[in-house]
Amino acid sequence: MAALALFKVENLIYYYPGTVKPALAGVSLEIEDGEFVLVTGGSGSGKSSLARALAGLLPDFYGGRFGGRVSFRGRDLRTLDRRALAREVGMVFQDPEKQLVMTGVEAEVAFGLENLGLSQEEMRRRVAEVVGFLGLTGLREKFTANLSGGEKQRLALAAVLAMRPQVLILDEPTSQLDPAAAEEFLNLVRRLNEEMGFTVVLIEQRLERCFHLSDRVLLMEEGRILRDGTPQQVARWAVARENPFVPPVSRFFAQVGFPAVAVTVKEGRRLLRPYRVNRELPDGKPADAVSPGRGASGKLVVEAKGLGFTYPDGREALWGINCTFAAGEFVAVMGENGAGKSTLLKILAGLLRPGRGKAVVLGSDLEKNNRLGPRVAYLSQNPNDYLFQETVEEELRFGLKNFGLPDNGIVDKLLTRLHLGRYRKMNPRDLSSGERQRVALAAVLVTRPALLLLDEPTRGMDYRLKAELGTFLKELAAKGVTVVLVTHDVEFTAEYAARVVLLSAGRLVSDGPKHRVLGTSVFYAPQMARLCRGLADNVLTVPEAVKKIGALLRCSLPVQAAASPPGDRP
Amino acid sequence: MVEQLFYREKGLFLQRLHPVTALTYLGVLFVLALASSNPLYLTGVLVVVVLGIWAADGLEAWEGYLRIILGMALLIMIVNPLVIHAGKTVLWLGPRLPVFGRLTISLEAVCYGAAMSVRLLDVVSIFCLYNLVVHPDKPLRLLSRFAGKSALVASLAVRMFPSMLRELQSIREVQCLRGVDFAAGGMRERIKKYAFLLRALLLTALEGSLETAESMQARAFGSGPRTRYHLEVWRPRDTLCLTVSLLVLAVAAYGGIKGFTGYVYYPRLGSLLPGGTALAALVAVFGGLLFPVALGWGWRRWPYLRSKI
Repeated sequence: MAALALFKVENLIYYYPGTVKPALAGVSLEIEDGEFVLVTGGSGSGKSSLARALAGLLPDFYGGRFGGRVSFRGRDLRTLDRRALAREVGMVFQDPEKQLVMTGVEAEVAFGLENLGLSQEEMRRRVAEVVGFLGLTGLREKFTANLSGGEKQRLALAAVLAMRPQVLILDEPTSQLDPAAAEEFLNLVRRLNEEMGFTVVLIEQRLERCFHLSDRVLLMEEGRILRDGTPQQVARWAVARENPFVPPVSRFFAQVGFPAVAVTVKEGRRLLRPYRVNRELPDGKPADAVSPGRGASGKLVVEAKGLGFTYPDGREALWGINCTFAAGEFVAVMGENGAGKSTLLKILAGLLRPGRGKAVVLGSDLEKNNRLGPRVAYLSQNPNDYLFQETVEEELRFGLKNFGLPDNGIVDKLLTRLHLGRYRKMNPRDLSSGERQRVALAAVLVTRPALLLLDEPTRGMDYRLKAELGTFLKELAAKGVTVVLVTHDVEFTAEYAARVVLLSAGRLVSDGPKHRVLGTSVFYAPQMARLCRGLADNVLTVPEAVKKIGALLRCSLPVQAAASPPGDRP
Repeated sequence: MVEQLFYREKGLFLQRLHPVTALTYLGVLFVLALASSNPLYLTGVLVVVVLGIWAADGLEAWEGYLRIILGMALLIMIVNPLVIHAGKTVLWLGPRLPVFGRLTISLEAVCYGAAMSVRLLDVVSIFCLYNLVVHPDKPLRLLSRFAGKSALVASLAVRMFPSMLRELQSIREVQCLRGVDFAAGGMRERIKKYAFLLRALLLTALEGSLETAESMQARAFGSGPRTRYHLEVWRPRDTLCLTVSLLVLAVAAYGGIKGFTGYVYYPRLGSLLPGGTALAALVAVFGGLLFPVALGWGWRRWPYLRSKI
């Protein structure tokens, strides 16, 4: 007799209250005990709704119309009482800040246990276990507000694990974290699945970090499951249909028609090993050998000389920064958390005055005058900071009105270019996160700035939205706008930026064309650079790799490479 | 700067007291500040509280509170002598003014005004000490025994306050860069600008609260009767400090009945210490109130004492 599936979803249809388009449009699937299932797809594809349905939050928490059936171990999820459900299924949400309830770490871990009505003794035991396992012992007495993003997300996981569920549902848990914290969190999830036997359903956008962790990938679109299979099967299928939701390394192998599709750099390098041994590939010159600080026009927009900044609490955020940004440059500022990236951006925006040294932006010495007016635009990490008007159009006109600038068709132009025309009369708060980001971007671009500063604009974005944003920013740079963005997103930088400034502990440690900075780095190298290291230089993106070594791979396939890895069945 | 005004975990002795002990100790100080009018008691409370703040490494935070309250304290000191004419020892006779009558500044009124200012400083400083040494969750957890849901709502509000302050700062920065000058324009215009600021903040907070509620529901909140998780440990230091605090309260109550904690300001200033018993009561009260601060000092210096209490 076949074992009973842990979850069985049959023809699940769901509409959020007041909507006419279904968030889930006939989803059917089964999840086995101990599986690691990765659910991916674009914004609004129904990933989070599926997660909520599996956690029993739909329709209980949201209301709306619900059709079909979700069963857990053969029992309809809706017949399970909430307490029993919480003991079986735990869910960690996207925003580490919003999902915490208590002020103290230990109290937060105990919150769910109190809700389950457990005894004092049992609670103490569980809190001690989970705090120890997740390395939170040193933070036990801390305020949750003072934890880092990664620590907060680990705490949210601890609070759920303490309830001892069998299934962990994680809804984009790393979208608000920096790469190091995201990596650490996903490794923890992998351990929970492999060593502790938890069934994991992970909703994620950063596929290069988690594609290989999963046993199975579900690719969703328009509330439906487009494809359900092993990572290799889904990668091949998606690339054949130009679906962007696969990691670069898989996209490369599928695009060149290689018989096997690698999902990790290690696997890819193993497949490419014969070529490294047998062939000499020509070393290309960097395509973008632009000297730092001199873009297409050469006119300097930003000049920093010995720039330093110390916060009132004594934290030295920047020290001795020397750099120049020219008109039309597209610069990515990278570095670990606390490297001083956001501080640099805030100084250039005129929000902070330089502490030491000199910073001149568009001819204004910021020490004397840091009111830069409409020529500098700044997009902060949270697009919601920009949205408070009744309609999208009013939101765009807000900046024009404040600076007393004429419209001259810029509002219409931006609404069209950023695909916001149909939302013109809608409240910006009713839009999805990707759309809100576009409204915020349009709201700062209405003043036709010469310098655009963006702080982590790709956080929480899917591949498609990132591609749209990257293309748009490149367009702006081509028109002469200097684009400076702070980001942790190596793949985005590799694809769209021209120059990279690397900061560490407040100091500038590297500055140059992206091929030089990223291509020679180990930890800031994109997947394709790591894959092609030793085989071809100056490769950062899939198109570059296809161009440099794709033809070679296609014309002769060695025996080793032709063998498909297990699981890659047509 | 604002964050300095709130509790920060520093692993201090006073922060590691059981909430019952800490609240009783601060409560005794508060009762003394409100119930006594004797300048020696009022000044003594201030000295003890400032020493406590110093022991809690919070003099910088206290400065923040002082900046807010010092103006008001000075105002009391100035206004009281101008409007109260009950004192007999006249220091200065001024002109006759409408409403106030003849301006007369008496020594008694000056002293009373000064004592009331010290009382105000006492209350604010006790509040400062409370914020420095009592984790906001702790009294709420005590309260949750009697009013679980109200305590949770209060805890949520406390948790969200720092993040809302950060959010407010961020929205303000963004609006400045979008051309909003909060200092420019008339009152009406400025109110409108601040209304936009608060609107953005409230909308974000509202959306955030929905996410928090979802996370609470996913963790079975409201699924049935809850139990309470006790984090606090009762240590020998708590027994010592609580006993001493209660003794101080008893002595102060005795002093109150005997009239030691009170003081006659009008028409002429009375005696500060009427007899040896009053002096003994004063020494006992402040010796007792200084006990936790002194114990904390010893706790920090002597590992042996630390391990024993």
